[in-house]
Amino acid sequence: MNSTSYVACPECDLLINYAQPKVGEKIHCPRCDVLLLKPSKQTIERTFALSFAGFILFFPANFLPLVSISLFGNANSDIIMSGVLALFTKTMWPVAIVVFLTSIVFPFAQISLSLLISGHLYFNQPNRYLICWMRWIHHLNEWVMLEVYMLSIIVACVKLMAISPLKFGWGLYAFVALIFITTLLISNRDNHLFWQRIEQLCKDNNHAN
Amino acid sequence: MQTKTNALKQGFIRCHNCGYLTKALHQLLACPRCDSHLHARRPQSLERTTALLLSSLFMYIPANIFPIMTVNQFGTGDTHTIAGGIIELIDTGMIPIGLLVFVASILVPSLKLLGIGLLLICVHFRWKINPRRWTSLYRIIAFIGRWSMLDIFMISILVDLVHFNGVQIIAGPAAIAFSAVVILTMFAAENFDPRLLWDNQPS
Repeated sequence: MNSTSYVACPECDLLINYAQPKVGEKIHCPRCDVLLLKPSKQTIERTFALSFAGFILFFPANFLPLVSISLFGNANSDIIMSGVLALFTKTMWPVAIVVFLTSIVFPFAQISLSLLISGHLYFNQPNRYLICWMRWIHHLNEWVMLEVYMLSIIVACVKLMAISPLKFGWGLYAFVALIFITTLLISNRDNHLFWQRIEQLCKDNNHAN
Repeated sequence: MQTKTNALKQGFIRCHNCGYLTKALHQLLACPRCDSHLHARRPQSLERTTALLLSSLFMYIPANIFPIMTVNQFGTGDTHTIAGGIIELIDTGMIPIGLLVFVASILVPSLKLLGIGLLLICVHFRWKINPRRWTSLYRIIAFIGRWSMLDIFMISILVDLVHFNGVQIIAGPAAIAFSAVVILTMFAAENFDPRLLWDNQPS
């Protein structure tokens, strides 16, 4: 029995023998219904393009003001990092670290790792760190909380609108676009294909040496 | 062709990182494709999940008792707990937003603690259940966990925006406890292995 034509369901451990699905087909686990494989066209090219766009958008989303408020003639504007710093100085450093990690560090790590992996696969460049990067990105997905942050911007705005008028900055538009990109990136990435390509690249590299 | 048995019963171990199937004959310790440690089920899944769940349960009490933020207005401080903030939102007529915050910071954490507890009890006492339904319970718990961070992010935005001479918003001690609850329950859900639900059922 050749083990490569089999997969085990990650959630119920059912051993499944499958025929390679065509583009656009989906394979669900017949027992617990989890989505196993969803091949699509040009996965690597799309991931590369999306993570490149995300990498560019990350900077305006983080350095331009998201929202500004003015009260008694004074104006304050908010970027993600200034929210972290405001918490950090007020003995709330554990919360500040959590916010810093989930809304700045992890999104940046996810986008840059995705750019590195898809870039190497796109240009067929073997790299001994590819396996490491794939393992890290596998654990990051759940801890990237940009869309939760967006929802809390909305709630905070509704709360503050009663006090004084708000102004939305260019950073907010970049931030919304960044959320679209990361969501597409997660739904588009095909781990199965990526691992197969990485395995192939490593093998070819070993033969060449 | 469909097989009706677990991969483990056929002697296969699935790598938790890359999904590679390995024949578990030679006591292999590392996955041949990605070199990560191989284990058929998450190691000490029940013990770790229980420990994380109990710690988050303890943190849940200060998270709800202590104020999550203080609004200083010209010298007078006004403290809000999590529930107090929601009641104020609803009182001022912002019912949809109030409901949203209620779901994210009260309903989701408490249902999550309850749900993970149920999953643990179910696996420990080997209840005869419909594993398909319980697996979807697990999936819902794992999916909704992150949305509880809403309150924490909101505080970071409010503290940053509202720091004027007369009016200030300051984060309270409950914010630390509440973020601990969210993160500990996320780790608990990550450590729980849904395949244990299927192992206990007669096939």
